[in-house]
Amino acid sequence: MSDRAATRIFCGNGVSPGLAAGKALKLDSHFRFVLKAYVGEGELDCQVSRFRRAVKQSREQLESLRAQLEQKVGKEHSFILDAHMLMLEDPSFLAEIDALIRENHANAEWAIQDAAERIRRAYSALDDEYFRERGRDFEYVAQRLLSNLTGSNQFSWSSLPDDLIIVAHDLSPSAFAVMDLQKVRGLALESGGRSSHTAILARRLQIPTVMELHDFVSAVNSGDPIVLKADEGRVVLWPSEECLESARRRLEASAAVGEPAFTGETAAVSEDGVAVSLRANTELPHEVVVAKRCGAEGIGLFRSEFIFFAHPQGPPDRESQFEIYGMLAREMSPHPVAVRTLDTGVGRLVTRSDFASEPNPSMGLRGIRLSFAEPALFVTQIEAILQASSLGRLEIVIPMVSTVEEVWEAKRIIAKVASGMQKSLDFDTGRVPLGVMIEVPAAVLTLDSIVREVDFICVGTNDLVQYLLAADRDNPQVAHLFQPLHPSVLQCLHRIARISLQYGKPARICGEVSSNPFFAVLLLGMGYRLLSMNPLSIPQIREVVRRVRIKDAEALVEKVLSMYTVQDISTFLVDALPPLLGLDLSPHAADLSRKVVRDRIQPV
Amino acid sequence: MIRQTLTVQTKLGIHARAAAKLVRLTSRFSSSVYLSREGAQQEIDSKSILGVLMLAATMGTRLAVTISGTDEAEASEAVRALFENKFGEED
Repeated sequence: MSDRAATRIFCGNGVSPGLAAGKALKLDSHFRFVLKAYVGEGELDCQVSRFRRAVKQSREQLESLRAQLEQKVGKEHSFILDAHMLMLEDPSFLAEIDALIRENHANAEWAIQDAAERIRRAYSALDDEYFRERGRDFEYVAQRLLSNLTGSNQFSWSSLPDDLIIVAHDLSPSAFAVMDLQKVRGLALESGGRSSHTAILARRLQIPTVMELHDFVSAVNSGDPIVLKADEGRVVLWPSEECLESARRRLEASAAVGEPAFTGETAAVSEDGVAVSLRANTELPHEVVVAKRCGAEGIGLFRSEFIFFAHPQGPPDRESQFEIYGMLAREMSPHPVAVRTLDTGVGRLVTRSDFASEPNPSMGLRGIRLSFAEPALFVTQIEAILQASSLGRLEIVIPMVSTVEEVWEAKRIIAKVASGMQKSLDFDTGRVPLGVMIEVPAAVLTLDSIVREVDFICVGTNDLVQYLLAADRDNPQVAHLFQPLHPSVLQCLHRIARISLQYGKPARICGEVSSNPFFAVLLLGMGYRLLSMNPLSIPQIREVVRRVRIKDAEALVEKVLSMYTVQDISTFLVDALPPLLGLDLSPHAADLSRKVVRDRIQPV
Repeated sequence: MIRQTLTVQTKLGIHARAAAKLVRLTSRFSSSVYLSREGAQQEIDSKSILGVLMLAATMGTRLAVTISGTDEAEASEAVRALFENKFGEED
């Protein structure tokens, strides 16, 4: 058998542009990688006995877990661990692993992965949902075995090659905290989509990324060569020598050009003299450097959850949060930094691993809801922000607000924290402006009641689109329905702009849409004057602002608000806008509407 | 060898807890106990919970049971009783 496999090309959705070439590193959601290693005849017994030891160890862990669980919730719930134990010691599974190790001369980890993959597939083919879901139980068992075999979920990045393409079903944003980013050249993932946090982070970190690669992970082994062409949404597995060579040449050429230098400009004034403030959405503290280089007039949205993910042992304390917020405030001064309080689902928080995982986390305990459920976390964060506010201009933004009562409650807590701290501080903590994210449709419809309670409002377009269209942007089956240009979205944005102006508190846009020139012009036409976006997009949007006349933008808005479909709207914009600006916007036209990827939808 | 056909009478079918009971029960016997959906070719080992759950046996499913070995008579009786007692799940 040849030592190289046939070239295969996988098509997905390029969510972070660029080209990458390297070797696959397979990770699972638990951040473990499994390599197939060749095991000599004499060592096979050793692999089998390693496996048996891992089974025994897993058995002991499960027994102890069952005892703990039984105490907490009683036998009727702990029985599931009995099922897990039976799965662990399932005679057909044990026999299969032995056979896989011996027949393939493989390591135990690989044998488990391989058997688990087959079992997973068999279960996922079942019609009955209950039984299909039992495949997940087996998954937990397999993960436990692997964990015991590899000893730890952590592995040493220093021993890995320095040109890695991460291959995984899904990658949690927290994974970025642990990865050696110097070595990660690209991401190839099965999950979706363009607006997921993983995609946002990949763009921010400039890691070329392709998502929605169906049936990809099971085709790849760690170590396989890959060329990833994110601009085309393609991943080439086992590329030909020519393909690899051409990728290397292009990579070298672009490395020689280097990064664009900052021209020192920040002002963005439209052709007809309207000033627009362009700010950066950031996640990682050190992105403040990028934000400044791109000429951001402040940080419009600092997504603070990343600093929580980066602390796998538990939430960061007040002091370490203070350092980060303080650094941001100092670095961006005199411009403001809006810190969004923790906006994550309960499932991602180490502290609450005792919580049952939520079936529908995006509609679950997240954002301000989680802050109210975990007041200590919220209070610590507010304390750190208030304390750091003397070092520059900090603002607080509350996410996931759906009713005005939540705003009242948040204000009450913040005021209490502030008055408690006031005694020990020599500056006025009461002057830190408070804003809320408008991302739940209910908040759009009751905006009047909310606007009057806060200093400013930010529109979180990613979540607003997802909640408005009831389409999970991370679910490849429905990701095509996630359409920021949907007439309902445009109507909401128009309404928010109008109402916020009535109250003299012009709304800000914080979302990926503002980095698209077509969308940015619509937002200006609706009356938005503060756009916050990926810092790397700021120079281009500044150029767009300079070339646009607000009058023209208003006319475009009036026109698109009368249209019924995303297709009509995007076709119209692609025709109408470039001549007005005198810019070639073709690279952004494709982003305007998502193709209907499933051919199931046919006119009847 | 003993063959019999049994009908699943529990509301939830042979779900995880019932499957665990079946596996534990048949593992006590030295006889082999194989199950298949009535009319289907593929047989699964009743001592393998992964196999039993793969049957996806819901209420009303008819299962062909094939038992062979030295203690097949007792095993057959025990399996039948478990099905008749609705896996001890319902009163």
